[in-house]
Amino acid sequence: MVAGADTAAEPSLNEKHLKYWTMCLQYPLPQIYLANESNRMALAYFIVNSISILTPSPSPSSAQPQPPPLISPVERRALREWVLSHQHAAGGFCGTSSLLFPLRDYEEWDFEEQKPTPEHSGLANIAATVFSLLILALLADDDEAELAFNGVDRVKTLRWLRKLQREDGSFGESLMNLPGRGWFVGGGYDGRYCYIATVIRWILRGDLKEGELGWVEDFDTERLAKYILNSQTYDGGFAGSSADEPHAGYAYCAISALSLLDRPQENSIAAHPSKILHSRIRDMPGLIHWLASRQFVYLKPKERAETFDEDDDPVNYLLPEELSDLTLDENIRHVGFNGRSNKVADTCYCWWVGAALANLGKVDMIDQKSTRRFLLERMQHKIGGFGKFPGSPPDVYHACFGTAILAVMGEPGLKECDSSLAIPVDAVRRIERARRALLKRANEEGQPVSLASEILDMGLSIRGEKPAWLTVVEG
Amino acid sequence: MPPKGKAQKPKGPETSKAPSTAPAPQQAASPALSAPPANVKQRSQQRFDESRPYEVARQKVGLSGLSPAEQVGWISARFARSNAVARSRLGPKSQRELWRHVNEANLPVRALKKDPFWGRDRNGRDVGEYNLAQFDDRTAKRIALTALEVSSRAFGDLRERANRGPRDETSGLVVTETEVQEERVRRASMATLRKELYGEKMTGKLAQDPEWDDVEPIPYEEPAVALAAIAYPEEYAEAISYLRAVMQKKECSPRCLRLTEHIISMNPSHYTVWLYRASNIFALKLPFLDELNWLNSVALENLKNYQIWHHRHLLIENYYPKIADSPSAIADLAASEQEFLATILAEDTKNYHVWSYRSYLVSKLGLWGNADELAAMESMIRDDVRNNSAWSHRFYIIFSNPEHSTPGTASTEPDPRAPPDIVDREIQFAQDRIYLAPQNQSPWIYLRGVLVKGGRKLASVEKFVEEFITGLEEQGSKEDIQSTHALDLLAEIYAEKGDKKKADLCLRRLGDKWDRIRVGYWEWRRKCLGTPGGEVVAQA
Repeated sequence: MVAGADTAAEPSLNEKHLKYWTMCLQYPLPQIYLANESNRMALAYFIVNSISILTPSPSPSSAQPQPPPLISPVERRALREWVLSHQHAAGGFCGTSSLLFPLRDYEEWDFEEQKPTPEHSGLANIAATVFSLLILALLADDDEAELAFNGVDRVKTLRWLRKLQREDGSFGESLMNLPGRGWFVGGGYDGRYCYIATVIRWILRGDLKEGELGWVEDFDTERLAKYILNSQTYDGGFAGSSADEPHAGYAYCAISALSLLDRPQENSIAAHPSKILHSRIRDMPGLIHWLASRQFVYLKPKERAETFDEDDDPVNYLLPEELSDLTLDENIRHVGFNGRSNKVADTCYCWWVGAALANLGKVDMIDQKSTRRFLLERMQHKIGGFGKFPGSPPDVYHACFGTAILAVMGEPGLKECDSSLAIPVDAVRRIERARRALLKRANEEGQPVSLASEILDMGLSIRGEKPAWLTVVEG
Repeated sequence: MPPKGKAQKPKGPETSKAPSTAPAPQQAASPALSAPPANVKQRSQQRFDESRPYEVARQKVGLSGLSPAEQVGWISARFARSNAVARSRLGPKSQRELWRHVNEANLPVRALKKDPFWGRDRNGRDVGEYNLAQFDDRTAKRIALTALEVSSRAFGDLRERANRGPRDETSGLVVTETEVQEERVRRASMATLRKELYGEKMTGKLAQDPEWDDVEPIPYEEPAVALAAIAYPEEYAEAISYLRAVMQKKECSPRCLRLTEHIISMNPSHYTVWLYRASNIFALKLPFLDELNWLNSVALENLKNYQIWHHRHLLIENYYPKIADSPSAIADLAASEQEFLATILAEDTKNYHVWSYRSYLVSKLGLWGNADELAAMESMIRDDVRNNSAWSHRFYIIFSNPEHSTPGTASTEPDPRAPPDIVDREIQFAQDRIYLAPQNQSPWIYLRGVLVKGGRKLASVEKFVEEFITGLEEQGSKEDIQSTHALDLLAEIYAEKGDKKKADLCLRRLGDKWDRIRVGYWEWRRKCLGTPGGEVVAQA
């Protein structure tokens, strides 16, 4: 027992990381996160998503008593309300809590016509919208998944989303009425917004055809696909546009966005042979080559001698003295990922590259054992979570994606993860059920509302559960 | 010693009489008086004792221990300060006697209260414990604060009258900028004094600014249950509360512009604030160059920021139509932008946002053929041959130049309009740099990209590639590979030539020895070789 004591004391991966996430959940984030204030919903998603991945559902056969969940059912309901409070009256969700205005500020509106022009429409943000929807799905209970999107204004959000598409097919992040310029789509030319648009579309709409239940005008998917396909670069990677340097984040976004455009709405967990993805990317071998090239043997920088070592290059990753030095045994080597050629390793690119390859069905092209070793031995922090660079303190972004890629690579004890939606598959199933419920309700719109269903909604909004007496009324 | 007169000055009805010549009460009776007070409390105690002559001595030795004269003095003092009812019990004669004693002995007719409370300072310390110098200092500050408050109220009144407008044409009041500035300084001093004296929270920069007096800030309150709350600095919270107020009113004004600057200095990533700033600039029709110059300094302070570059993009979009007809104005703008980009890229050579902006600028201002642009890439690649951003930009400016490229051709596709001499030049350029560092991937992928773009066979560089590979088929100690990228390209060259066996050998050696971490990839490439039609089938 003595010999094994050290290893026995070592907490499990889940325990260690949940400790870090508990801290993020229970205390305000330190001031260093101020730069993310306007993307607070993203931070919230990193926290809730990681906790979810790290908390696998107990197997039915397990007789062991389960510890209480980190986020209690009561807290879940309160947090859902908090997320929904960010919904903008003209569609979409706001990213900056501190710029939410009280409802009375919308008093003069004609909600049907959205007139006068939607005030503060610059506040609804495409990233905040997708993260809000994902959090709602993550926080919903399995036995109430139908209600996950209760309170989401599906139609307005989809109409608002259409307005974020530019002439060239790309998407921006927000709408603003600029003096002298009129409605302006804010945000850079950035593949991330294009990807997010396809996620929102898949969650709230999917491929509905005109005339089908719950149909809402779609954005121009063909133009978006063309924009994305045109942003492939000479070396096979993807960039914000073909004029730019390829970047792993954009490659992930391009691949995931294309596959989401024709992803089925039901039973979507199983890999689907996306036609857009597999037959329209101009240089697929080039893309795979580029993605596979992002991994490299991570060599620890030499210990600093007394004199400053000129060879320490903070801009480029370290190369070995001799190529044959790279033939390290697979049981000791570390493999890191960069986002662009010659750049240094960063935790999040394990995700962007690894998940991109997983979306192409090629996760076996990464050296998974050595990647795992790299994450756990170089990027993991002793208090839990992952940092950006070796030795960095953990932060919610890198900690979330470090955990997510471990899940994609099948780490025991973690939930199975959907590599194009970046959430656990149980949440994806809840999205499918919640969408079904939204569409059903859309069908009922205009029909006389049944008293029972109104009471049910009321009961749910007050107590968060179905009142016991209602079954009697319904019966 | 405290000033003598204060507590001892007779204040009874008889004060108008000639000053008494009688000796002052015996000091010896209260020895504490001889020592100067250490703090305000002690001074109060001394003054208290002085307003009760002989009391200290009486407490020490009892009434009978005092001399007869002292006894008379003590009794007279008590009667003198006791209330009128008590005194009226004395007959007229006794009263006369009393006042005579009081006058002669210069007895006080009123007594101070015991242990007066002097208040607490901002640290909760009893001000009574201050030494006298500290106390005087505090008093001086309180007086100064009162004076400032009076002036500040006067300013408020003045502005109110000015806002009401002139009663007649001639007596119109104007609040000058100097006066506003003075008030600003005044409020800062007031806030400092209030903090020093009472520990009041420093009012924020904006609350102190008379310019913002008419705006009622809307503070943001964090709900009880929420995710990812951030510990905001107070200054930031204040600025946001004012931002909420002006955004709600859709105000566009110079002060709003300054407010955005203030917030950006604390949080340069706030996209809503940047968009709001753009609104203000466009609404106020502010000069493009002023904003650009300001932006330069912000960009240098915030190298990793994304929004700054998007804002710059938006400014150029807005400004360009005004100079579109003037080639010299465009050239000037291009030159000054290139100069700034050189400065910022020297700080951070691979900054993605800067490079994206640079490619946007090339397309907006038509800089593909610009000699300075190409020279800049040449020099950046000279400085760091592994700077892939510079390689990538070089490819863009050369092969997307509308003068010799086919519109709509993808980057990965051959372009018949690509001039052969330029293709040759670029092949040479890449090869020269590969010699410098054979394991550097950037020039290898550039070389391959140029070959494809120029419609050349990969095999056209076979000789060059083979220079980096020795004894491949030996598989023994003689095998020496200087670059895995060379071996990778060689595999493609063999496949292109239909020599599957040799291609397969290259890929096997990569997976088995020279690039083992990618064995999964090299195995996939080998599978692609096996099937007719190659990779297209393998990917499905």
